[in-house]
Amino acid sequence: MAETPSPSEQARNLYEGAETRTAQAVERIVGRESFGELLAVVTDNAVALTRMGNDALDLLLRNLRLAGRQDVTRLARQLARTEDKLERVLQEIEALRDELAAERAQAAKRNGAPRSGSRARTSRPS
Amino acid sequence: MSAVRQLVRAPVAALEMANIMLTQNEATIGATPKDIVWTHRKTTLYRYRSSRRAHAIPVLLVFALINRPDIFDLRPSNSFVEFMLDEGFDVFLLDWGVPDDEDADMGLDSYVCDELAWGMRETLRAAGADELSLLGWCIGGTLCVLHAATEPASPVRNLVALTTPIDTTGSLYATWVGRDSFDVDRVADAYPAVPGSGVDWANKLMKPVTNYWTTYRRLWEGVSAGDARRDAYQAMAKWVADNPPFPSRAYREWITSMYKDNALVRGRMQLRGRRVDLAAIEQNLLVVTAGADHIAPREGTLPLLDAVGSEDVTHLDRPGGHIGLMAGSRARTEIWPDIARWLAERSDR
Repeated sequence: MAETPSPSEQARNLYEGAETRTAQAVERIVGRESFGELLAVVTDNAVALTRMGNDALDLLLRNLRLAGRQDVTRLARQLARTEDKLERVLQEIEALRDELAAERAQAAKRNGAPRSGSRARTSRPS
Repeated sequence: MSAVRQLVRAPVAALEMANIMLTQNEATIGATPKDIVWTHRKTTLYRYRSSRRAHAIPVLLVFALINRPDIFDLRPSNSFVEFMLDEGFDVFLLDWGVPDDEDADMGLDSYVCDELAWGMRETLRAAGADELSLLGWCIGGTLCVLHAATEPASPVRNLVALTTPIDTTGSLYATWVGRDSFDVDRVADAYPAVPGSGVDWANKLMKPVTNYWTTYRRLWEGVSAGDARRDAYQAMAKWVADNPPFPSRAYREWITSMYKDNALVRGRMQLRGRRVDLAAIEQNLLVVTAGADHIAPREGTLPLLDAVGSEDVTHLDRPGGHIGLMAGSRARTEIWPDIARWLAERSDR
């Protein structure tokens, strides 16, 4: 015969059942179209408030002749663009270096001298 | 435990629970030793140190844009990276870093055509290999799929997509952000880098009772009973709370193409003028889905199996949630060995 659960176990089971049902009910609510609509409006309001706050703060800093977030971002963006260009130049150099190594290896092969293969690659500082 | 004993222990348990929650940021995550191979802007390519590399094809791990990739290496003894190193793989990780306002110009094409492609290039150079295995999780999986679908000459031999959103029809996200009244342009214009906390809030709102109540109730029960898994809780809580911002252009493109237009599965997505054609994917493909995944439901991933042109396609479906599948306590025995076996069979020259 199955053991009868103690009162505290019964209470716990009841509670867990209630919690599971609540979770399912809330998940049904958040899955509704109407909740999606509500969320869209809440997001819109939050975005508008943030924008107003950010604009006001930036204006204040600019009037105080201090660098605001936009100024710092502008500088950082310039750095990022420079890094983009540098990366492309480095890739070109590496491709040329690999090409040169391959040609040297081929030439060495033609001349009969043993050389290390074209797969030897140089690393670059990260 | 008797009710009286529970009551007596309650103040001590409350103190202990408070301590666990207040010190969660001190938990060590992502601790496996690694070296920086390459950096570009906020992206960093890491190579994990190992003295037992047995497979010729390196594995490149790619995670989502909305959380940190430490989940691959959560904590010692519960780390996918550690497991893969033990299995003899040469493991690399592409970390997107923490974007800021200056990265607002980063779009999906920047991540797929530049960061991912360049990271793969550097992986091959560092490993001295011609091919690699690409393992993407969540949005990271979608980025890997986008790469494979647009690069016919890709060096990817094996593609692993873990809980990856592909078809968003009927998903909760589509209900929320796919509707016309959700103005993605307004959000992206206001925030050069969409705050990660906002994205995290939306994720948690999908299962509000579980995320805002049950998690803490279970912790309380564990602490009261004296068997709380402090390390496990703190590591996961720290990771969950670390949400990098989403660059606004990438956010706009992600929401529009995936949730408003569902363009990927409809074959209407383009990256730098190239059509994203899922049928062009010819790599060996492993798709892993989680039965209880509410963020990337399995129904939204399965269309990938039929859409690709690969001849070698494997599907693993396991119980568990979006993250729990790979980072839960049972992952080490229930899913990691299957992934390692699948890769090992396809990772020799």
